[in-house]
Amino acid sequence: MSAVARPIGTRASLLKRFATMAKVGVRMMFFDKLKLVGTLVGVVFAVVLSNQQAGTFMGLLYKNRMIVERADADLWILPAGAETFGPGKELPMSDAFQARTVPGVAFADPVLVGAATIKLPGGGTEAVTVLGLPYPNYASGPWNLVKGDRSVLGRPDTMIFEDGDRETLGGLNVGSVREVNGRNITCGGFTWGMIPFGPSYAVADFELARELLRMPNDRANYVAVKLEPGADRERVRSDIRARVGLSQVVTKDEFAITVRKYVLQKTAIGITLGMSTLVGVIVGFVIVSLSMFSAVVDNIREFGTLKALGATNVDLAFLLLVQSVVYGVVGSAFGLMAVSQMAKGIRSAKLTLIMPPWLTFGTVGFMVLMCCLASGLALLRLRKVEPAMVFR
Amino acid sequence: MSAELAIAVRDVKKVYGTGATAFEALRGVTFLVEPGEFVMLSGPSGSGKTTLLSILGCVLNATSGSVELLGRTIAGGAKQPTQGELAQLRLSYIGFVFQAHNLIASLSASENITTILELRGFRANEASEEARRLLAHVGLADKAKSLPRDLSGGQRQRVAIARALAGSPPIILADEPTAALDAQNGLAVTELLRSLAKEHGHTVVVVTHDNRIFHLGDRIVHIEDGLIQEPS
Repeated sequence: MSAVARPIGTRASLLKRFATMAKVGVRMMFFDKLKLVGTLVGVVFAVVLSNQQAGTFMGLLYKNRMIVERADADLWILPAGAETFGPGKELPMSDAFQARTVPGVAFADPVLVGAATIKLPGGGTEAVTVLGLPYPNYASGPWNLVKGDRSVLGRPDTMIFEDGDRETLGGLNVGSVREVNGRNITCGGFTWGMIPFGPSYAVADFELARELLRMPNDRANYVAVKLEPGADRERVRSDIRARVGLSQVVTKDEFAITVRKYVLQKTAIGITLGMSTLVGVIVGFVIVSLSMFSAVVDNIREFGTLKALGATNVDLAFLLLVQSVVYGVVGSAFGLMAVSQMAKGIRSAKLTLIMPPWLTFGTVGFMVLMCCLASGLALLRLRKVEPAMVFR
Repeated sequence: MSAELAIAVRDVKKVYGTGATAFEALRGVTFLVEPGEFVMLSGPSGSGKTTLLSILGCVLNATSGSVELLGRTIAGGAKQPTQGELAQLRLSYIGFVFQAHNLIASLSASENITTILELRGFRANEASEEARRLLAHVGLADKAKSLPRDLSGGQRQRVAIARALAGSPPIILADEPTAALDAQNGLAVTELLRSLAKEHGHTVVVVTHDNRIFHLGDRIVHIEDGLIQEPS
């Protein structure tokens, strides 16, 4: 007889065991293709629904603060109590004049925002949001001009309208004349996508806007302040604050945050879209959770065998973790591809799906986390698998 | 007799459940096996042979009594081993051959073997080389890449034997390895297991009902009602 076999003295490092389990886990996943597809559908569903809702929310958020984000202003003077950019609250025109006297201010342009109605050629009316901006800075727009340029605002009774609303406004073309708040206005050009969460912007020179909106000479809605290069923003802000009385003086970022808070807390948009996002995530979680649980149940004997052969609960937990990460990453990739195609397909001036990079990468991270949590049910089942079952 | 036994089970009892529903599967079993022995363990269903095999295989703790594998106490010491310790003992001491082969369906024949080798600390390239050698040893060199579903019953059982040999554990435990095989394949598998004991120094314990293979064992141990009946 040959020499007696001795106990195996070597043992795998934790890393090595995990690598082995990762390989087995991935092979198990791709072996049962039906289950793989089922689980991925869960992740894709969660990604598509949550991203579509989140992207729409980001789009609506952008619509509410597009002027703040796009305007060439470092500071804003807001009426006391103003929480968003829109018609309503007013401040004294003197705030703009006071700001102009502060050293370091390049310009301080008053801005008018107000609702107006347009008479349509075939009868009826449509609403627009008149945005009044002073010559020559036009710091707060218009942008994305698809026809005409800013200089047309210098022509008498001329405004720039939104391309996305041309049909709504009765087949509007450059040169078309429409009655806006009782005054004949010529269309001098078109913007694309200047549609807030409400009627589209119609941009006018400040004085024309004042007359259309019947705003008193000594009132405005906002003041956009541009600093001179190298000016100390905080010092300038402090100086302006000292001169404007009750009005608020905020930075561009602060104003954007204020608008976001307003949308989230004071409108139903955040709650509505947030709920839809949550539903998408919950449905995806349930699908992934049940799929992974059922995969463990289907392969219970194999897991028992692995345990009998020497794999521990920690090894098998890592196997599930790797599967979760793969499900999360692959499912997110497919889901994000679908959402990005959807965003391209929508491409409307009225509905914008905005997918910032943090949302894209955050989705992958969140879905991986969701899949890991969803594997918890499977892990609970796996912990109870006795290696002795292989002898039954 | 060698100074060190491969398997030394002394007065082992195993009770499942508690109180009125308690069931004593082993009622004081003593079972000693020398290194390199090829022992067959037989008995009717419910006799306790699978329970004994599970305790030998470190997948189940005994209720009382002592168990030693190659001088290492695995039961009957100051404290019962934890699940993690039992798993490590399995990796160090035991190779299993199951009744239904229990190969991982998604892994090839070779990967079924390399997986256990890697858990036993082999590097990937060493494990692949060793898997090739083991598959050649069981006559399946050309089936390394085949999935279990593409193999016959006999071939699967031979892959399972190759997996049991992965890393050369000293003790091979086989649970009804011929149950799902025809006579010819059953005999071939048993002869292969015997050769592990006789040519490679493994200690092999085979649980079986199959009287067609009894003649190949060094000893046939009969267990009934949780007690060893007649060592022969």
